Amino acid sequence: MIIMNKGKILLGLVISLIAIGIIISASLLNKSHLDISAENAQIVISSNKLFEDFQNDETEANTKYLEQIIQVKGTIVDINIDKNKGVIALTSDDELGNVLCHLDSTETHKISLLHKGQSINIKGVCTGFLMDVILVKSVIIN
Amino acid sequence: MKPIITIILCLLFSSMSYAQEKYLTKNGHTSFFSSSPIEDIEADNNQVLSIIDTKTGKIAISILMKSFMFEKALMQEHFNENYVESDKYPKATFKGEILDFVTLENTSEVIIKGNLTIHGVTKSLETKAKIKKTEDHIFLEGSFPVKVADFNIEIPSVVVNNIAKTIKVSFNFDHKPYTK
Repeated sequence: MIIMNKGKILLGLVISLIAIGIIISASLLNKSHLDISAENAQIVISSNKLFEDFQNDETEANTKYLEQIIQVKGTIVDINIDKNKGVIALTSDDELGNVLCHLDSTETHKISLLHKGQSINIKGVCTGFLMDVILVKSVIIN
Repeated sequence: MKPIITIILCLLFSSMSYAQEKYLTKNGHTSFFSSSPIEDIEADNNQVLSIIDTKTGKIAISILMKSFMFEKALMQEHFNENYVESDKYPKATFKGEILDFVTLENTSEVIIKGNLTIHGVTKSLETKAKIKKTEDHIFLEGSFPVKVADFNIEIPSVVVNNIAKTIKVSFNFDHKPYTK
């Protein structure tokens, strides 16, 4: 009897371990994307300084800013809608480049309230530097 | 007298065309598609920079690897960390030429020839594309296959059946005159 019970307990243990394993791996595989609006910014910076850092030393700026949630403060120089997604350009001290904030699709409706010359805080994920510093999945703070 | 006027007119027109020599987009779209028996994987990038020099037909494209957005967060993580190592190689680039650009019809099929760099590896590439030229737009659209192994991208054996050996890269750019 005792041996039978031990076997049953062991079997139960193994089954529940496998079940837990499946649940954990399934949740890992379907891990959701970061919800930017719910996360706190890791770096708070002005758009001028962010652009300057990339222009001075792109490699160093990459290690510092890539994939970080960055809150930028700057003045709006341009507002565009491209394929139903808003893109807001913020000032830099260089006339050739800006900080381009690609808005999250849920945020785009807010751009009708914005105008050029306005000062704004935007939070987004930095993906790098081309002619401009690029932020994606951006949300408007104020 | 006449030759002088002709020369002046020529100079005038050449300087006019010179003013709109570069067409550019900062919101170009590039996607790639991998199809395997186990799953299809697709990623989109809407922040591609592409510049065309209309005088020569030269084209330069820059792509941020971290700007590729995947359906699943884990796919994106693996792509950046394990496959293309985007911390080490943050950009993919293409430098080349749209053949016979200057003499092209407004809407036609063109051949683009140049060098594609991904993951630090440069390969020559020749592909067909559709082009549409208007006064204030140059549309360019097309796709080409990329062999993952050509660019020294290693796919771990565990997921070797999930990822196609050849992926399809599509692009869609709407260039506008560069005014700055």
